Amino acid sequence: MSIYTDAKYMDVPYEEKLKLFKEVKDDMRYDHNLYGCYECGICVAACPSARFYDFSPRVFAQIMAREDVDTFYELLNDNVWDCSQCYSCTRCPRQNNPGGIILMMRDAAVRAGLQSAKDALRAYSRIIYKVMSTGTQVAPDMLQPDFFPDWGTDVKAVAENLDVWRRAIPPETLHTTELAWDVSEKTRLELYMIWKLTGNLELIEGIDEGIYMILEEVMEELLDDNGYDIDDFENILED
Amino acid sequence: MSNKPILVIGGGPAGLEATRGIADLGYNAILVDKSDVLGGNPISANYAALTPDMRSAEEAMAEMVDAITDNPLVDIRMNTTVVGSEGDAPNLKVTLQNESGEEVVDAGSVIVSTGFQHFDPGKETQMYGYYEHDDVITIVDAEKMLKDDNFVVPSSGKKPEQICFIQCVGSRDRQIGNQWCSKVCCGIASKQAIEIRDILPETRVFIFYIDMRMYGFWEDEIYWKAQEEKNVNYIRGIVTEITKRGDKLLVKGEDTTMGRPMEIPMDMVVLSVGMEPSEGTTQMADTFKLPLESHGFIGTTGGALNTVQTKVPGVFVAGAAAGPADLEDSISMGGAAVMKACAFLRKSELQPA
Amino acid sequence: MSVTTQAPAVHTESKVPLKEFVRKGEPPTEDYREKLFELEAKGELEVQRVPEPIMEVETKYGRKKKIPVEHTWHHKSCGQCGHIPGYSTSIFWLHRQFGLDYFDPKDQSSCTAWNYYASSTSNSAAQAAIAVRNFAQAKLDGYFPLIHCGTSFGHYKETREEIIHHPELRDQVRRIMDRLKMPFVFPEEIVHYSEWIHAMRHRIAERQTLDFSNIVSTVHPACHYHKLVVEDAIYDRELYDGQRTAIVTGLVEALGAKAADYSTWHDCCGFGFRHILVSRDFSRSFATIRKIERMKEEADPDVTITHDTGCVTTLDKSQFAAQAHGRNVGIPVLSDAQFAALAMGAHPYNVCQLHWHGVDNKPLLEKMGIDHKKAWEEFETIAERIESGELDFMTWEDADVK
Repeated sequence: MSIYTDAKYMDVPYEEKLKLFKEVKDDMRYDHNLYGCYECGICVAACPSARFYDFSPRVFAQIMAREDVDTFYELLNDNVWDCSQCYSCTRCPRQNNPGGIILMMRDAAVRAGLQSAKDALRAYSRIIYKVMSTGTQVAPDMLQPDFFPDWGTDVKAVAENLDVWRRAIPPETLHTTELAWDVSEKTRLELYMIWKLTGNLELIEGIDEGIYMILEEVMEELLDDNGYDIDDFENILED
Repeated sequence: MSNKPILVIGGGPAGLEATRGIADLGYNAILVDKSDVLGGNPISANYAALTPDMRSAEEAMAEMVDAITDNPLVDIRMNTTVVGSEGDAPNLKVTLQNESGEEVVDAGSVIVSTGFQHFDPGKETQMYGYYEHDDVITIVDAEKMLKDDNFVVPSSGKKPEQICFIQCVGSRDRQIGNQWCSKVCCGIASKQAIEIRDILPETRVFIFYIDMRMYGFWEDEIYWKAQEEKNVNYIRGIVTEITKRGDKLLVKGEDTTMGRPMEIPMDMVVLSVGMEPSEGTTQMADTFKLPLESHGFIGTTGGALNTVQTKVPGVFVAGAAAGPADLEDSISMGGAAVMKACAFLRKSELQPA
Repeated sequence: MSVTTQAPAVHTESKVPLKEFVRKGEPPTEDYREKLFELEAKGELEVQRVPEPIMEVETKYGRKKKIPVEHTWHHKSCGQCGHIPGYSTSIFWLHRQFGLDYFDPKDQSSCTAWNYYASSTSNSAAQAAIAVRNFAQAKLDGYFPLIHCGTSFGHYKETREEIIHHPELRDQVRRIMDRLKMPFVFPEEIVHYSEWIHAMRHRIAERQTLDFSNIVSTVHPACHYHKLVVEDAIYDRELYDGQRTAIVTGLVEALGAKAADYSTWHDCCGFGFRHILVSRDFSRSFATIRKIERMKEEADPDVTITHDTGCVTTLDKSQFAAQAHGRNVGIPVLSDAQFAALAMGAHPYNVCQLHWHGVDNKPLLEKMGIDHKKAWEEFETIAERIESGELDFMTWEDADVK
């Protein structure tokens, strides 16, 4: 039962909220990220997101310190994705790390496959695909005018001359268009093993099944080519 | 050395410390207390553990009483009140009264340590219904319940699932006429919240406050501890009224830092009542013609540089008779008053008037 | 507020008697190096030492940090390599100019922290394993990691704290590294390339060929450099009395340019990780309204210099839309590496690759005394030779042809 008369998500069973709350509280990083909060507002004053969204790192710290499960669930759905993850909020006199609290909450939201997390990451999933499959987060070929219409005419110039301009860069690792740099097959293979061993692929399945299926295929192929069976890499975190 | 005794009025922490100090310096003391037991409010109001060090109030006061018991320099008068005073210090003639009648004693100097009384929530202008609802109690009631190891919902005898403290009841309120902060209630509510969470770990505890005033080491030792280790819910915003809904109390207020309206069912509400000058303090001011400061406590001279000297030479004040004081303040003032009172006597001997 | 014609200096004449900060007492944080060496002594992991020769710099709480001069393994940045390639190229170019030994690996993955902060589609174990895999590879390659990206730098330091404090995480990482048949290695120091530039700044200034004395620059210190794990960011008593990080400002001043102050220097750039990719209205608004317009109004600089991937991208790319709306923007954005390289005579397009930047930087180049028309023709000539198939790539030798 929320303490607020204007509470949201009252149709969601309390047990479901509590389960997610406990996941966050059991996170290894929790004790280091949250102490207590006297709502001094230093984190909000330093926060870029607070200037443009109805968003407050202070509210996260205070609500988590109170262990207010209902309001935690509101934040988890409505506010968690607004954070800029800049960590300007770490100047807290109580030594809280609101950005870190938010990251743990995002983890829980993703693990649970919350609809709000799916919505927040819908446009983003091609980036997830890029980083997980190639080992580099962004690539030159992403600089397309239709994806970055607000970035000006140089994006168009880059897109039009991409192949030549990439080759007109002296370091030989940068002559790439689909990867930020030339990542070796060995490294990609090792990265895939890490994703598998830490259950990250299952995580993607809960958020975007389409991306998951393509990723699994790409990874399976490379592992297979190198004499590995993808099923040999069970999630070690579940032991 | 003068044989004239120093009269200490009131046997609470400040008076006990003053009496001990007088005897330690080799002067004579008469300690007068209107009740039949020494220790002041910590004993008469059944305090459980003292703030901030959580020591048992009974044990701590017993230690103070032991320090003056069976001391030939100390004359303890229980069930006794001061009803009159003639002359000027160091030649005061003070009339004491007890069951068997009046007695005039000589006193070289006086230390008034008559303390405070807890604010009576019947006088509050919010609508907290202390006298209407069984389950609305004060921090004084809560102390007794904690001391008796029986912290339950008064109306049902059950363990409370959800309780709250409301701060500043009878303090910081122009409508009531008490504009001061009572200094200790934030600490005491937080201390009680810790104790409640210790004995009832399933109980959710809220503290509704205007400002948390946890100076010095009370900050991390009580406030942070309550919040960080006991997850006490601190909410800035004062409850507007307490109403009844079914068998629960309903508290209404605004969570001001979140900017959201609240309505929370509670099993119990604890009012953090503040301090007022005790009746004894008001009477002693009258008896010794001590001017009051603007809030009605005994006034001192010299501002921050002299916390114990009243406007009447040779008459000193210690503890909450001079204004809201915690235990540490009271003990320190007791010691300071002894030093000033003994110095007053010593000077008057060296330079007889 | 009126527009200032004279940019406010970061060093101002004091109007009150000289106040000097002298740090006393022990640093409030533990020494991570001691903790790493303890773990090494227990046989839990291997600590890679900073190779000689070493440059020492002062950090926030007065501890010294070791910066390697050379033998560095260049841990590249996704955003730099992908979208601002002159950034990484300038770092390499500086090493080549000094004849320093470095290694540009292909056996390097992204730290993946951009994704971690943006989407949370990862976990501590994966993040730590990715860090340690890169470090192990550096060790096997015989070089010491030099981290190009500010977020990698900050995230690896967070990972260091987690590894030091959580035995269960160390156990997970060890099991993963065993599967990968690689050692569990962690470097003695996590070093950001901008720290190398800071430590090298006087040597860079000795080799300076352009006069920057009429250049006014604002500085944006990166959040993940000086806010994420604060204790081993560079602070210098000579700069800002040791009260702000000295990074970048140290270089700007060493090169004789004027470092100008502005009121929102501590604000973030607006990058936001997921925002810069999928909620760009936020990034754009913050970058222009809080950063660029303030700089313009208060300091009117010729350039703003920063030292991280996301900051260069956000501050630079956000200005186009604001300019289209007639707002008071238009400040070229460079990394410290590009600024240093230009000072030492690097080619603005072949090396610094300024054609990948958004804001018009020609007036800046002119003020620096660079003939950008000629330089662009030189670049175009090489590009045409590549396009025609005459050249496969631009080589370092091609790049330096004047």
